[in-house]
Amino acid sequence: MIEAEATAEMLLMTGAFRSPQTIDEPIEQTLVRAVLDGEHDRFGRLYEMYAPLVHGVLLARVPRDEVDDLVQDIFLHALRKLHTLRNPTAFGPWIAMIARNRAMDFHRASRDTVEVNEHTAIAKPLNRTAKEVLDLIRQLPDAYRETLVLRFVEGMTGPEIASRVGLTPASVRVNLHRGMKMLREKIGAVARP
Amino acid sequence: MNDNYLWDRTGKPDAEVQELEELLGTLRYQPRPLEIPATIKVRSNRMFLPLAIAAAIALVMIGAGLWIRFANSSAHTTIQAAGGSPSVPVTNQTPPPESATATSTPPSEVITPRRDSARKTALARNVRQPIRVTAPALTEQELAEKEQVLVALRLLSAKLNLVQRKSQGLPQVNTIRNQHKMG
Repeated sequence: MIEAEATAEMLLMTGAFRSPQTIDEPIEQTLVRAVLDGEHDRFGRLYEMYAPLVHGVLLARVPRDEVDDLVQDIFLHALRKLHTLRNPTAFGPWIAMIARNRAMDFHRASRDTVEVNEHTAIAKPLNRTAKEVLDLIRQLPDAYRETLVLRFVEGMTGPEIASRVGLTPASVRVNLHRGMKMLREKIGAVARP
Repeated sequence: MNDNYLWDRTGKPDAEVQELEELLGTLRYQPRPLEIPATIKVRSNRMFLPLAIAAAIALVMIGAGLWIRFANSSAHTTIQAAGGSPSVPVTNQTPPPESATATSTPPSEVITPRRDSARKTALARNVRQPIRVTAPALTEQELAEKEQVLVALRLLSAKLNLVQRKSQGLPQVNTIRNQHKMG
């Protein structure tokens, strides 16, 4: 139920997506147009801006040692398909969706990967490492884990996540708080003897 | 837990959130240059404008062609409806080899084949046949009525001419004759 609700919120992308720091001419729009007009080196700026977002989206779904290569692949794919992007200001939501689809493809291709479940997580010692907490986050529903990874791993604030992913601030706020509550419950379950 | 700190890092820091930030921050994205292969092909916007213009021109030409063809065919049908079956001159027809009388037919004479066969022939050959609309013979009464209509039209034309001259301030010429008779 919660997962379905979160997914629905995830799908409710706002049509008029705008970066909060620019009002008249979003930088994404300028850069996308420049790249499509032949200035391919301008794509590097988009990469710098959105690589943390793609990294966070992937880290919430695929093994950590695969993430860096996948980030590169996704940006190269985005460069090839940039002409299909109708609204240049929605570059962030667009590339985030590419990253989610690529993560799903990764899991389809590698069915033999051992998933970390709650039982294996509980068996870990109390002094948790970053990887173990990340594994706990990965057990949460999609929308929550992605929001939490962007918040705690990539260091984005709630408004930044909303503007980059293309969700409303209210949806991100809900995802953050519900995700944090569920994470706390999982950490508490792990901490209990 | 401080909600504002979790949301946008304002307000009193939450110890648990800070601990998670520090712990998970070690997994943060490490900047790495994007290696774009030289062989990668990026479709440019510049390609779309000429293509769009060419497509628009092609569509307009196709539309105009269809419209002209439709207009011609509807005019052809109207004439047929008004003047009866189309008449096709013999000179454009291939004479049948066994008919000696057809070759002796004078060129001004026309034959009137059946409507369906004429249409099929025209469609098959894609050749537009010339159409002759023969004026029907008029009786004496019809000729008299025609003459009355022509006189009325002349009178109307003269009156309109007079009105035009008055409106333009030109000197009037008494071109309307016998108007006291015509009333």
